[in-house]
Amino acid sequence: MKLPESQVAVLNAASATDETPIDRLATEADLKPETATQAVFELRDESLLDVTERESVEYELTEEGRAYVEADLPETRLYRAAVDAGADEDPVQMGQVIGAADLDGPEVDIALANYGRKGYGDIESGELAADPDADAGADPEAAALETLAGGEGADGIDDEVLDQLVSRNLLDRNERTVRTVTLTDAGVTALMEGVETAETVDRLTPEMLTSGAWQDVAFTEYNVEADAPEVQGGKTHVLRQTAERVKDVLVGMGFQEMEGPHADADFWINDCLFMPQDHPARTHWDRFALDVPPIADLPDELVDNVERAHRAGVGEDGDGYHSPWSEDFARAIALRGHTTSLSMRYLSGTEVGELDPPQRYFSVEKVYRNDTLDATHLLEFFQIEGWVMAENLSVRDLMGTFVEFYEQFGITDIQFKPHYNPYTEPSFELFGKHPTTGELIEIGNSGMFRDEVLEPLGVEHDVMAWGLALERLAMLTTGAEDIRDLHGTLADLDFLRGAEVTY
Amino acid sequence: MPVVDIDPDELRELTGHEEKDDEELKSDLFGLGLEFEGETEEGLLQFEFGPDRLDRLSVEGVARSLRYHYGDDRGVRVPDTNDPDLTYVVDSDVPDERPYVTGAIVRGVDLDERSLDSLIQLQEKLHATMGRKRAKGAIGIHDLVAIKGDTLTDDGEGNSITYTGIDPDGDTFVPLDSDRELTPAEVLAEHPTGETYADLVAEYDRYPAIYDELGLFSFPPVINGRRTEVSTDSRELLIELTGTDQWTIDRMCNIICYALAARGATIEEVEIEYGPSSPAGERTLVRPDFEVETKSVSHDRIETMLGVEFEPREVIDLFERSGLAAVIDDEVEASAAVGTDPADLPDDPVYEVSIPPYRTDVLHPLDLIDDVGRAYGFDELEPKYPDLGTVGGRHERSRLEAATRTVLTGLGFEDLLNFHMTREAAVYDRMNVEPGSEYLGGGEAVEITEPYSEDYTILRPWLLPSLVMVLENNTHRGYPQDLAEVGLVAERDDEVNTRVRERRHVGGVLARNDATYEDAKARLQAICRDFDVDLATPPTDHPSFIDGRVAAVVIDGEDVGLVGELHPAVLVEHDLELPVAAFEFELAALGDD
Repeated sequence: MKLPESQVAVLNAASATDETPIDRLATEADLKPETATQAVFELRDESLLDVTERESVEYELTEEGRAYVEADLPETRLYRAAVDAGADEDPVQMGQVIGAADLDGPEVDIALANYGRKGYGDIESGELAADPDADAGADPEAAALETLAGGEGADGIDDEVLDQLVSRNLLDRNERTVRTVTLTDAGVTALMEGVETAETVDRLTPEMLTSGAWQDVAFTEYNVEADAPEVQGGKTHVLRQTAERVKDVLVGMGFQEMEGPHADADFWINDCLFMPQDHPARTHWDRFALDVPPIADLPDELVDNVERAHRAGVGEDGDGYHSPWSEDFARAIALRGHTTSLSMRYLSGTEVGELDPPQRYFSVEKVYRNDTLDATHLLEFFQIEGWVMAENLSVRDLMGTFVEFYEQFGITDIQFKPHYNPYTEPSFELFGKHPTTGELIEIGNSGMFRDEVLEPLGVEHDVMAWGLALERLAMLTTGAEDIRDLHGTLADLDFLRGAEVTY
Repeated sequence: MPVVDIDPDELRELTGHEEKDDEELKSDLFGLGLEFEGETEEGLLQFEFGPDRLDRLSVEGVARSLRYHYGDDRGVRVPDTNDPDLTYVVDSDVPDERPYVTGAIVRGVDLDERSLDSLIQLQEKLHATMGRKRAKGAIGIHDLVAIKGDTLTDDGEGNSITYTGIDPDGDTFVPLDSDRELTPAEVLAEHPTGETYADLVAEYDRYPAIYDELGLFSFPPVINGRRTEVSTDSRELLIELTGTDQWTIDRMCNIICYALAARGATIEEVEIEYGPSSPAGERTLVRPDFEVETKSVSHDRIETMLGVEFEPREVIDLFERSGLAAVIDDEVEASAAVGTDPADLPDDPVYEVSIPPYRTDVLHPLDLIDDVGRAYGFDELEPKYPDLGTVGGRHERSRLEAATRTVLTGLGFEDLLNFHMTREAAVYDRMNVEPGSEYLGGGEAVEITEPYSEDYTILRPWLLPSLVMVLENNTHRGYPQDLAEVGLVAERDDEVNTRVRERRHVGGVLARNDATYEDAKARLQAICRDFDVDLATPPTDHPSFIDGRVAAVVIDGEDVGLVGELHPAVLVEHDLELPVAAFEFELAALGDD
């Protein structure tokens, strides 16, 4: 009979008559315990070994238990001191006895409780009596501790005594399963007929394949259920995945992508958007002005048109703002607070030429806001921006476009709350139902660009537009709770590595 | 967004709808765009709303909007006014920076604690919004009884007060919340309100001042005098506003007057007499200006914008429920159309819409269409997907970035996304690089003017510092850590239109026990092979890297970056206890151009 090496070793170490524990087998066969265990079960499956399982109970003295072996149980000490003080004749003051018994701290309570339980005498009104007939020297609990401390088993000890000692926390009870092994008749026969070691291999090698040796070997079995070591593959950033998904959806809806500068003139960022120059969002508290000279070139005619719109409005019945307007401010460079600067550039015709309707454009790019950095606000975040240009667009077209877009992300029941933006009219805040919690959440801002925005740009058709923070969508779809884990140099690699993929 | 605090009992009283409970009121106000935010300690309900309808900054204005909404009121209503009896004289000493003034007299007011609080709230909220924190417009409300007219010395006739400018220490008065005579300069230095608003007039040579016969009584836009303080006993008020724009302060004044008129007060006009050498130029105005302006809007435009077909009579009804008034303004049928049976109205009429003088937001006929939409209920509109044939697509750089990320993650790099803003030390000192040096990353950084956080003061001129900072923050996480980023870097460059040269860089770091130059180069080779570009790595030097283990990344003959082993000094600076091999180069080098 040919068997793998470990099984041969186990078989040789086993006995037909003595029940050998697996631990001992492993030692004798010079195998690792888990290898020996595996071999034992394989041999059992071949009916060469019998395996007996027994629950074994072992007792071990606790630290406190060991201390009492040295110093006697507290109640024993108390009884002896009480007798010494004559309490077997007349009750004596408890304090005096306790001192003489050398008890302190928690030992006092332990001594008093067990003194009464064991019938060593009465305790009344602070006085202690000792029963002259009690025999503290023959206490079974003390004897049991002594026996166990001496390394003998618990076999001869009364169960009640053991339970008492466990409950006094003087003993730990350990229960475990002990497997012992005996050779079966078939095992004995096999050994008598002779067992050889079969060649088992751990790994299939190129040589085995070329030589044909693979045909004569047995492969060691693996524990195929065991966890393998961690492997760390590379993964696209979770927020980028969401951005890619958004881009896919928008491209699918017929939108072309825009690009343009992160640092731009306030003209493109705000003035074209008909944001008055004294608007609170344009104060230096909210924007990141850059310490560079003003923009070199702006289209002169457009600058004039925009200034005129700010000062006098557009159209016969239009009014301007009653706010100051200076070209110097318009030319100053800042980090864009929204990607609507790109929309303005594209609509003006300076990026890809004049656009004829219909057109759809989008971007998913970074914007910069001087906000407080916390779990839901970043100084830099991604804005999803989109616009549609066509003849005679109505707010219903705007609503229909957004219903379609958000549905792709599982956000339904879109509500349109009338809102105010300086650059759109009508304007709507968009609310939608959270895909898992069902609560109503704000998911974007939208509207029809005002004539004061479009006319200076030379756009003669209707344009509807909307914006939304990508991070907000990502937090909704990934369940992330702290945006700082996602974005920036505080990123936690474990979070990124563990993030679920988006598709 | 502005917030208005409302006593619901007062709102019920002013709307005449005692039967409405708080919940109904909240729901009705949501329909108007006022969102319930919470309750104040005093039990007032707080509502947030868009900054367009500043006439709703007080309970009186909110009640007015609700009455229109309920259909209790219709059309434009203008308070009756009495003729002027008092003149505000504006003389030539008025500071050039703050030339304008307006105001009104209000008689027969009946203020209790509640309505006085409401008035003060409206004043403060108008300051915060339209008044741009009092810089553009500031309101002073005085007890008229304490004011004595006739301050004119030479050509005086009748009652007047004078708006002028004085030296910072040119006169004294007792300001509100004080019992000492102070000069305007002392107010700015010593009075809490003065300290708050000192910046507004800090640059002025002369400080704004208002006089009556008895002397200086107000120091706009900072503080009023105690003599004319308004209390619940005040029955007649003098309102004055100063500012940098006449229209703005006139509208602020109108909103105040409408609120007081809603409580039964009578508005009396004043004359504003800008003197011949006043900075605003010589002219005389009668204020408040309750003139009702009109704008024209076509029926067709309303229908196309809202995507709904209307009967003209419906449109007129919706205008009226918005507190506007509309008549058909058809060139041919103008006179005939007014008051005619709505059934006889033309198919595509043009409406002449009257706009009440408290509205500050109607700049264009579009704004009137928005009002029609709100009155109709945008909720009622059925969304429809526009049937427009357009072709979607991504721009080239976006595709190149995405393809590069795919290659990098295929090579096992974790794709990162770092901030574009950082601080000088992170990109220079901590990387061993001198600012202004020729090395990669040594270029002139774009600085943020007046940064508020010392962690974000510049735009990053190169990528590797961001990646090394991520390594620094993740030393407790499992290794190897192979990280990459494709992202924006920026340098100051006055040759560029925006003065900022923006580029995309590709950066990668390999932090592992046995990381070497070869590990980084191997991956760089793989990337270049994937994009079918030629890579050469001639030796170079860079202070962030170990000498002799750093090379220039030359792609298709262009020097576009670096590859090498990071210098131990850089590693130790970032608390890294293992070697890091790294590369950084321009994304564009992988593209076709």
